[in-house]
Order: sequence, then C-alpha cells, then structure tokens
Amino acid sequence: MSTVESRPRIGAGVNRVDGPRKVTGTAPYPMDFSVPGQAYGALVQSTVAAGRIVRMHTEAAEGAPGVITVITHENAPKVGTGPVTVLGASPPPPLRDDRVVHHGQHIAFVVAETPEQATAAARLVRADYEATEPLLDLQDPRAEQLVDPWGTDTSRGDSAAALESAEVTLRATYTTADNTNNPLGLFATLAAWEGETLTVHDTSQWPSMVRTCLAMVFGIPESSVRVLVPYVGGGFGAGLRAWPHVILTAMAARMIKRPVKLVLTRPQMFTSVGHRPSGVQWLSVGATRDGELVALDHRSLSSLSMEDNDYEPFAWASSFAYRCPNVTTQDRQARLNVAVPTSMRAPAEAQGNFALESALDELAHSLRMDPLELRLRNHTDVDPRNGLPWSGKALLECYEVGARRFGWSDRNPEPRSMRDGNWLVGYGMASALFPYFAQPCAAQATVNRDGSALVRSAATDIGTGTYTVMAQLAAEELGLSLDLVRFDLGDSDMPNAMMAGGSGLTGALGNAVHDACRRLVRSFAELACGDADSPLLGFSPDDVECTDGKVHPVGRPHLGESYADILARHGLSELTANGNSTPPVATELGMSLAGAYGAKFVEVRVDADLGLLRVARVVSVIDGGRILNEKTARSQIIGGTVGGIGMALFEDTVTDPRTGRIANGTFADYLVAVNADVPEMDVVFVGEPDRGTATGTKGVGEVGLVGIAPAIANAVYHATGKRLRELPITLDALL
Amino acid sequence: MRAFDYVRATDTREAVRLLADDPAASCLAGGTTQLDLMKDGILEPPRLIDITRLPLHGIEHRGESVHVGALVTMEELAADATVAERLPMVREALLLGASVQLRNMATIGGNLLQRTRCRYFRDPTVGECNKRSPGSGCAAVQGAARMHAVLGASERCIALHASDLAVALVALDAVVHIQGPAESRSVPLTEFYLTADVSPERENVLEHAELITGVEIPLPPSAARSGYLKVRDRASYEFALASAAVLLVVEGGTIRQARVGLGGVGTKPWRAYEAEHVLTGAPATTATFLQAAEATMRDAWTVPGTEFKVPLARRTLVRELQNVSRVMA
Repeated sequence: MSTVESRPRIGAGVNRVDGPRKVTGTAPYPMDFSVPGQAYGALVQSTVAAGRIVRMHTEAAEGAPGVITVITHENAPKVGTGPVTVLGASPPPPLRDDRVVHHGQHIAFVVAETPEQATAAARLVRADYEATEPLLDLQDPRAEQLVDPWGTDTSRGDSAAALESAEVTLRATYTTADNTNNPLGLFATLAAWEGETLTVHDTSQWPSMVRTCLAMVFGIPESSVRVLVPYVGGGFGAGLRAWPHVILTAMAARMIKRPVKLVLTRPQMFTSVGHRPSGVQWLSVGATRDGELVALDHRSLSSLSMEDNDYEPFAWASSFAYRCPNVTTQDRQARLNVAVPTSMRAPAEAQGNFALESALDELAHSLRMDPLELRLRNHTDVDPRNGLPWSGKALLECYEVGARRFGWSDRNPEPRSMRDGNWLVGYGMASALFPYFAQPCAAQATVNRDGSALVRSAATDIGTGTYTVMAQLAAEELGLSLDLVRFDLGDSDMPNAMMAGGSGLTGALGNAVHDACRRLVRSFAELACGDADSPLLGFSPDDVECTDGKVHPVGRPHLGESYADILARHGLSELTANGNSTPPVATELGMSLAGAYGAKFVEVRVDADLGLLRVARVVSVIDGGRILNEKTARSQIIGGTVGGIGMALFEDTVTDPRTGRIANGTFADYLVAVNADVPEMDVVFVGEPDRGTATGTKGVGEVGLVGIAPAIANAVYHATGKRLRELPITLDALL
Repeated sequence: MRAFDYVRATDTREAVRLLADDPAASCLAGGTTQLDLMKDGILEPPRLIDITRLPLHGIEHRGESVHVGALVTMEELAADATVAERLPMVREALLLGASVQLRNMATIGGNLLQRTRCRYFRDPTVGECNKRSPGSGCAAVQGAARMHAVLGASERCIALHASDLAVALVALDAVVHIQGPAESRSVPLTEFYLTADVSPERENVLEHAELITGVEIPLPPSAARSGYLKVRDRASYEFALASAAVLLVVEGGTIRQARVGLGGVGTKPWRAYEAEHVLTGAPATTATFLQAAEATMRDAWTVPGTEFKVPLARRTLVRELQNVSRVMA
C-alpha cells in the first residue's frame, strides 16, 4: 500500500468539482427545492423580550386569503426535545407554552397557499403580552451566571502568587460584540410527510444530527427521517443546530398533511439561527523583564440565552497557547433575554485570541520588545498541560516566513512613527491557533463495473470544498483520475458524518474515506491475488497498490490489471467497502493533537482626523498540516481573513437597550467587509503532515479568521499610539 | 407584501390625475426604496402608479444650467459629460451614493424623495415612531442611535436623510420642478425639505397629487472648484456618518464664493449657511475652515450615540474645504 508520507504535502489546487454547477445556477440550494402540493410557512415573532403571551389574536390571519392554518402555543401539538450534542442541549422545541424569553422568538406559524399570502397573513397575527423587564446587559448583576459550563476551566501552578511576584504585570479588559453569522443563503426548510416517514430539505451543516433531532421530537424512528442538503449557501456555524423553525415546518406539514416550505427573511436570520455571543475578558499577565511569561490569568464572561446552550470557552486555549508555568483560565456565561448564540466561525477562539494576543502586544510594548520576539521567547513545542509533544506544530516557521514576506523588520517600532500623507501607518501581528477537533465519521466507497468510483458520506459542503477534496483523496487512494471519482454527500441516509464544524470535517471524514478506500483496494487485491487468471496471482494483498486505474504489486505497474477486469472476471457488478474514523487519543499516540497554527501580519492605515481605518495588507502563514487542495484551502484562509476584518472593524449586532430588539438586522445596517475593505492577501502554507492521523490534515476552516482582529488592533496601536480593547474598532473610537 | 393594484401611466398629466383620484396611491419609479418599504410593511399603498414610461428621461443643457428629468437614473447623470466637468461634486455624490446596480435602477426624482434608513422607522413592530404614527414618540432617541441625525433633530425624531446627491444639490441651489393637478410650480431644493424637529411625519412640501418632473442645477462659475467627501465605517456601500459637499471660488487667497452642504448629520440634506457666511470674504486658510465648521455645528442636538457626529462633521467639512481649496493643514 502506498503511504501518506509519499504523498505531496500540498495537494494540487484543482478547481471545485461543483464549481460549474454553482456558477451556472444549477446547484440546488435548500430554498430551491419544491414538491407538488406544497404550502408555505411564515413566522410570527415576539415583539417583547421577556414575559408571557396573554392572548393570541389569529382571527384576522385565519381569514386572510389563502391561509390554511395558524399554529400557536394554544393549538401546537406537544413534541419531544432533541438530543444533547457536543454543542450542548438542542434548542427547546417551539410553541411549548406562553413564555417569551427573547425578542424575535417564534410565537406563531402561518401556513398559506403562497409565500406572499403567508407573509401578509403573518403580519395580521397580534399578541397581547404581559411583558417583564428584560435582562439585556451582560454585566447585569441580576443575570444568572453559569460557572465553568463545559468543564474547561484550567489551573496549573499558582498564577495569583506568580502575578504578585512578577517583575512586570499587565492587567487589561477586552470586550467583543455580538456578531451574526449571516451566510448569504437564507436558511430554508421543506418538510414532507408520507405517513410516518419524514423527508426534509434543510440548510444544515450536520444532517445526521437534524435527523436524530426530528426523530426524537416527533417520536419516530431515525430510519423514518431523511434529511437532504446537497448544497449549503454558507453557514459559518449557523447550520450546526436543528433550529425551532425546522421543527415548526415539519410540525405544520404533519398537521395539514401537506408539504410545507419556509424560507427565513434576512432580519429573521438575526434571531433564528444563532450568533457569536458578546463577551468581556479580563487578562492578567506576569512576565520577567526579558519577556518570559511567568503568569497568565484569563477569565471571560459571555452572553447566553435563557434556555439554550452554546459551547464558547473563550479563555480555554490560553492554557496551551504559550509556555507559561502558572496559568488560570475561567469561563462564565450570563443568561440574558437574547436569541440563542451559537458557534460562528472560530467560536470562542476568535474572541479569546483577540484578548490574549492584544495583551501580549501590550506587554511587548511595555517591555520595549519586538512583539514577535516576545512570542518566540514563549513558544512551546510541547503541550504545557501534559508535557506531550504536539502532533505537528510549525508555528516557528509561520513566524519566520510571515515576518520575511511582510517585511516586519522594516518597521519603526515606535508607535505613531510611520506616515503616508494624511494616513498614519501601523504594523501589527498576532499568533493564531484553532484547537484540534474531530468526531467519528463513516464513509462508503464503491467501484463500479466500468471502473468508476462513488464514495459517499452524510457530510455537507458549506463552500469549504468537501466535494472536491474528498474526491481528490479517494482518487488518490484508489489510483483513479479525478474524473472517474464522484463524492456524494448531503443525505442523512448515507453513512454518518460529523458536523461541518470545528475545522474537523476534512480530517475526520478524510480518514474515513481513506479507510474505506484502503479496504476497497484490499478487497480487490484479495480477489486478484488468489485468482489464477490475474497477473497478481501469488502476490500478497499486503503488497498491492493502485495507480493509473490499475491494481498492481507495489512498484510494478506492468503486472497490474484494472478494477473493471477484476470485477468482470468474477461476475461482479461492483465492490463496496465501508470505512470509519474515530478521533485519536493523545495518551495512546503519545502526542497532543495539535490543530492548526498561523501567524498573521497586518498593515493598517488610519486617518486620525476622520477616524478612518483601512486594512492595507495581510500576510497569513498557516500550518494546516497536509493541504489536500491548495486552492480550496487558500480560499478558506482568504474567507476567514475577510471574516476577521469584519469582526475587527464592522460586525456588531446591535440590541436595542430598552426592548431587546435587534436594531440593525439587515445587510444595509449590519456591516460586513465588502470588496473595497479587503486588500490583497498573501497566504502561505507551511509545516508537515500532522502525525496524529492517517491523512495528516489539520483543518483550515477557522484558523484563517483567528488572529486577524488582534493583529489589526495591534497595528492600530502602532499607527496611532491608541490601544483599543473593544471590538469592533469603529470610526468614533479613533476620532 | 400585501396585494396591490398596478397601473402604468403614459403621460405626466395622466399620472397626476391618477394620483389625485386615489389619496392612498403611490408612484413607482426605480423602486429601490418603495419596494423595500412595501416588503417591510412600512408602506402599504393599495395602488402603485408606474411612472417609468413618462417622458422625463432627458438631461438637457440650457444656458448656464442643467435640466435633469426626474426619471434620469443616478448612473446616467453621473456619466453626463457636463456633470463630470462642471459639477464634480454631483458626480462624486452619485458614485459614492449607491452601488452600480442601484444606480442603474434608482432615479433622480426618487433619490430626492428617499425615505430615512432609521431602523425604528423601518420596522413596523416598533410602536413609537412619530414619522409613521404622529404623536407615538420616538424609539430611536433612547435606542441605538449611532446612525442618526444631529441637525434638525429633537426628541420628536432623529431620523437621518441619507441621500448623498441631495446634499450636493442643496449646496448648488438646485430647483425642483413639480407638476400638480392644476398647475406646475418650482421650489428651491433648500425650501423643499422640512426638518424632523418641526414635522417628523412630513418630510417635504410635495403634496400628494404632485409629481417631481425634474431638477434644474445651475452651473457654478467656471472658476469654482468643488468636491464631495463622504466619511463612513466601510470603504463602500454604506450611508454617510458625515459628508461634505463644498464649492469654492478662491481669488488671490480670498474666498469669493462658498457653497456648503452637509450629509450624514441632518434630518434633511443640510445647507450650511453659517459656514458659508464665515467663509465668504475670508482668507482660504485652515483657521477659517475651522471657524466655519464650528459655526455650522453649533446648534447640534445629540443623544447618547450621536455625540461623535459633531466633531466628525466638523473635521469632515474642514478636510473637504482643504481638499477643494488645496490648502493643506
């Protein structure tokens, strides 16, 4: 068998296999599906943030043209609750009772013959409330605080004592805003029942979980639920939950015995499918005068809704980012009357890294030390929590290559010392990591009688390139050209796959595909090696590989034969093998699983009179382990960088302080980075295949975003001498 | 969106008559504001009168003014050679005012009549809005107010007029031509708009059955220099936090003529007469510009969240006065 080590470290930058379908508009996104006889749903959302519904007025809507039914808590069937996953409990099912816990909560569902009729009628539904004062402020002392909600708090050494005795200490508070994921594709659900069998098209990053949830909610076997999502118009984490509107759509379809389709509006996307929670972080850093960290205390408080969970340990990664003997990390959440937060690209790490990397920059400046030198001085090649070596960490190479490509040494280290006309110029840098994450995955590989291959798994491609890189990986393992391999996904009837989240899918699914393909090759080898008519007769199946469509003894392609020949001779129409992957265990490996690393270098321009801040250059050097497809991986880093610029400069989901209503829930009012805000980006991959898994990948979906915001904030300090500890850094902060 | 009747008018008189016949009807031109507001449930006209086929599409140069038909698109006006040469601040305001897709749809008449972007106005679930329901109050005053107005504002309403073009046009003393059921009239743009501290529910002097047929823009003297500076968080595709339209005639270091409009700060496109008063006859220096900016913003009315707009507007005006006069700080 061929080995991973013999493969190229950076895979060919082939175009997306689904590219032509996407650019010609033929790739069906969830909102594009329709079935005969379908009705359309529209949501009615609460206009208070806390209290009880005293009375629902549905008569006008029920009498409106085309209306089939109006569902409220008064007539909704009681349903079950979805599963607890790695992200916490499922969101509570909708329309349980008369309680309102956030503004924009779904309080009724109108079903009509056309979407326009449903929307018009939804406006006619009114509710009388017994409103109570909402809790909206993160630091409101009345808010219930969850202490260490994920068991991730850490403590080693004695950070309090070490801070006390440190030669230099720095204490600072950092705040980050609510951000909304805002994938371009509006989330949609189409639910159709046939008897007790439910088929759902849904915007999801995790169809297997949506299947489990719907089965539990409606009390039917999982085998009776099928969730389809061949294409996703972006997710950034918003598709990691089975949201209440999905349950509502399926509930309505069951009630009216017709398929029902729902497409969320953009404002509804701000309250229905999660967001990055706001937070405040307190950092205390102790160091020697020459920049060696001796103490680190990192605490966070982030916002949470009243009845949901969100996995968001901001401070946790500070326990292993640097070598430091005395570390405390603590994360807390405050329950507020806000819509449920959820993972948004680089959850927790985007926020935690902003605070840590800003604090290190502050420390470097107070020590009059190069911020890069400070990081080099505290680098660690072992996991400081357990002393194990990392399975792969090329962070030093990231620093070196990044500094060189950026021209870091050209800078005048003095703040406010570089200028270009009206523009102050600043350079900033930050380290980035995104911790290793994986869940079990399964895949199935088949070679057909004509020698073509189909590999499948219930994964999703949220724009990351899953279709493409998995086909590449399978083609490589099977020794076939890419055009003979199809990878299919987005169907919960396929073998189970993990979420497209946590930067984990490519690695975990890749290992399952690798396993399935190896087993399939082995099946062919066993057939051929025991076959008197095969040139492989007598060879051991252990010594067989596949190249150029031929199964042959290792290094001897002239003794090979094609898959088609083997199948034909044995009267078989196809051969299939299943593969699995389970996350490796650090103690068994003798290595800590590393995740991705990066170094980010940024140049900003600040017009100090007008407060204008523009990002002029970004250099991202990434250790993503083995890169399966240089082009799609680069696109991930570019997309992450754009998200990081948005987080740093623009993105701020504003909640009205009196009512809890989202006050900027449109694309005109909620700013994301547009083309004019995004400079040329230099992206470089360094490092080696990760030693922890068979495919050697690390996942690059999130590390591209991490580190951009602190690098920008650090560059703003260098440009202006102004330290900004609050995101986003808007114009008024720079005046 | 609620069901509505649709009728297409073929000439201006017919359009005005159709409007006069139905006090709840609205006109449809480019639709870039109208349709948004209908989808959001803010406007629910039972009848839309499509005026896009009316003969109001031309740009004519008559002596020392440019006559712009109400249905000329933003993109067409920006591409006009005379506008590019003699009215650079109009061209800049147009190009900075909207994306090319919007500029290809949006008309000049519609731009002047665009509604505020206030998210409290634009969400029908918000009860307190003096613009939508006079007397109900203003939720924005105690709300998230960063994008709101500080001139012509009061606790009754702080909704910003978001047009860029209108800021340049008020500075240039443009005149709006209006056709009513009985007669036509012309109104200087500076007298066309009403401020929200006076009448939140009524934004301009146009009567229901009146139609804007065109805008007349006087050409400035050939010695004049002008420009439009728009300041915003994002580099493009955003409304102004502050903007300044500046036209100056400077002779031998002395400002002979000054025209100043301010955007991003007013409940109407703001003509800064106080600034012009300071500038006219004064030396073209940064000291003069600072004084002019100070005078302009003296009567600002702020709420928590909008205070920064006062210094920002001052600095924006100073910067554009420097740019246009080529006087460096």
